[in-house]
Amino acid sequence: MTEEMGGLADRFGGLSGRTVIAIVAVFALAGLGVVSVVAPGSDAAALFGIIASKSALSSTLRLAAPIVFAALGGIFAEKSGVINIGLEGLLIISAFAAVYGTDVTGSLWAGFLVGVVSSTLLAAVFAVVCIEFRADQIIAGLAVWLIALGLAPFTSQVIYNGPNTASVQSFSTITVPVLAEIPVFGALFDATPAVYLMFLAVAVCWYTLNRTSFGRWVRAAGENPKALDTAGVTVSRVRYAAVLLSGVLSGMGGASLAFNIGQFTGNGPTMVNGKGFIAIVAYLFGNYNPIGAMLSTFLFAGLDAIQIRLQTVGVFAVPDSLIRTIPFVTVIVVLALVGKTRIPEAAGDHYESGED
Amino acid sequence: MSAGDGDGGGRIDRLRDSMVALTEASAGERFLIAFAALALSILVGTGIILVSGFIATCRTPVLTLGGQTLCYDPVLVFDRLFLGALGDPLSGGWSPLNPQFAVTLRETTVLVFTGLSVALAFRAGIFNIGTQGQLVVGALASALAVLWVAPLLSGVVGTVVLIPFGLFVGAVGGGLYGAIPGALKAYADANEVITTIMLNFVASLVALYLINAYFGDPDSAANQTVPLPDYATFPTVLFDPRLDFSLLALLVAFVFVGGVYYLLEHTPFGYDIRTSGLQPEAAEYGGIDSARTVVASLTLSGALGGIGGAVYVLMVLGNFQTGIPSYGFDGITVSILAGNHPIGAVFAAFLFGVLKSGSSVVDFATDVPPQLVGVLRGLIILFVAMPEFFRMAGRRLASPGDGETPAPAGGADDD
Repeated sequence: MTEEMGGLADRFGGLSGRTVIAIVAVFALAGLGVVSVVAPGSDAAALFGIIASKSALSSTLRLAAPIVFAALGGIFAEKSGVINIGLEGLLIISAFAAVYGTDVTGSLWAGFLVGVVSSTLLAAVFAVVCIEFRADQIIAGLAVWLIALGLAPFTSQVIYNGPNTASVQSFSTITVPVLAEIPVFGALFDATPAVYLMFLAVAVCWYTLNRTSFGRWVRAAGENPKALDTAGVTVSRVRYAAVLLSGVLSGMGGASLAFNIGQFTGNGPTMVNGKGFIAIVAYLFGNYNPIGAMLSTFLFAGLDAIQIRLQTVGVFAVPDSLIRTIPFVTVIVVLALVGKTRIPEAAGDHYESGED
Repeated sequence: MSAGDGDGGGRIDRLRDSMVALTEASAGERFLIAFAALALSILVGTGIILVSGFIATCRTPVLTLGGQTLCYDPVLVFDRLFLGALGDPLSGGWSPLNPQFAVTLRETTVLVFTGLSVALAFRAGIFNIGTQGQLVVGALASALAVLWVAPLLSGVVGTVVLIPFGLFVGAVGGGLYGAIPGALKAYADANEVITTIMLNFVASLVALYLINAYFGDPDSAANQTVPLPDYATFPTVLFDPRLDFSLLALLVAFVFVGGVYYLLEHTPFGYDIRTSGLQPEAAEYGGIDSARTVVASLTLSGALGGIGGAVYVLMVLGNFQTGIPSYGFDGITVSILAGNHPIGAVFAAFLFGVLKSGSSVVDFATDVPPQLVGVLRGLIILFVAMPEFFRMAGRRLASPGDGETPAPAGGADDD
């Protein structure tokens, strides 16, 4: 634990930042619940009504899926020793490619695959640049982001004569009979394929990282590459695999994002709008644990779902543009409370095998 | 318990090595790498233009190959991008005062400030991705303050007082906004790459809110303030007043280049910044207050971005509008291309001024989407980030057939 110290929460409370945030979140929710029972007509009761609803949970899950996929990808890359700050770019390129793929083939899942392939290709470029040519990982990651930020609207302009693509199909929900009727949590059984895939991916990633030899290699490549090398496993090959995996997972994220509405919008920061960076904070906050990353994403996505709902309901007279800052401000607050995380020992370093 | 404890170095500590490599590379090598990166970006850009030219549909293809039509001509694109931005210097009757060259210099002026902003932070070992947000805050603060004070003054006196005042307010606005991630990094260990990116989003949303709710021009459908009076904007010198370019502003930019250079190389504070950037442990050991240096350098970096925003308002826009172009992100490329050197930033900013100005010429002369420059921006950063690629290529060229194993160039974990 001592190595995770340094956040504001530690300085003032002696509790770890993660604990403080979890406690605050739970108490805020419980407090709102109590108020809504005591004073059913109040604004707080209305807010609780919005939060504790099936539709809020359902949109939280929908908004979380792209971020969770990207965060899972980020975990693999960073655990293996390659900090992938370009997740945002991978999401952008795959969101566009998925829509284009669907537009051309007419099939949603073929488009999904096109999205995954495009993101993986961009991740492969990033991997070669970082591993083969020993580029600075942060700068190369920023480059991946900026390339995608230019390339997706550029291609959209070439094909659709505008930064936004045509509309294609979007994911429809798959409803599990009976279970979907459960109050609030029924949303878990009345969701898009992306949401079910997200839960599956979290489970598979957790298992892969913690229970398979590939997972051990990934962790060793990031913590002690020399030991891995000595054990006869090629470090760079493991890192390549991990970075490509981050491309595959981010590609699933970008495609999920695009198929939430069935269109890619490429104005300004594009429809991805910082989700790749939020994913990075989500896995840092989740301490590189796939399940932790998913739970912290639910916090961000939940706030996002609430702010979207607040815009339409208009319970409080807070203007749209201010409400839209909530997820970004939360990320900053969380980061300040958590402070420095313990990153893998060799993350950011190049590894040169002695046998070469 | 404290920052910089024995966790083997945080992610930023790791990066210092590569930043050392970036700044310590000899000027000649830096220039060669920047040039090679640019050439390679153009090569890849040509490939992208060709591929997209075959995908796009158009009425007048430049080439037809076996039923496939090519809509874009890469030679024309780069001709327009570079020569067009300069106002066609090869076609005779060229004057440096031509309108397109004025646009190029105008973009260059703003980019010098954002490039300096990123470079200053970089030299202190800090990634300031938030220059964009600091520029937005500086632009808004400057426009509002000048609008507020302008009615009290007029004429030449107004110009002489309001321009420095506007720049100062922009610096304060951007500086305070830069101090936020600085303090978060220094006292809460929050990674500045993420916080500055998040603050970019916050800045543009809050600016949108303020314009919508309080400061918008009631007669305009767009999100903008009322126009500044003419005497509150940069006076044009030599160039046509309609071109929104002022040599005076460019001169101010050069003064700041000199100032930042002097600050970094010849003052004790500059020494603190450079030492913190190169060898943080040694800096701490040598008595440099690292927290203070982090906050101060991000504040200064933000102030430079804020002045960039003020210049953009006082020279180009003549009011504040939401949706400011991505000068801050271009500043990252400018700084990286310049090896984070203030004087190098002038040349890199000019190159980027050419690209930005040229993109409008390309848009006019061809059907190629103007977002091409955004792609080139990313490619240039990518290629500058991998000097090893060029070194390997150079070695292979120097001794053909012997380029199989590159010598480990330090930092390797083997023994």
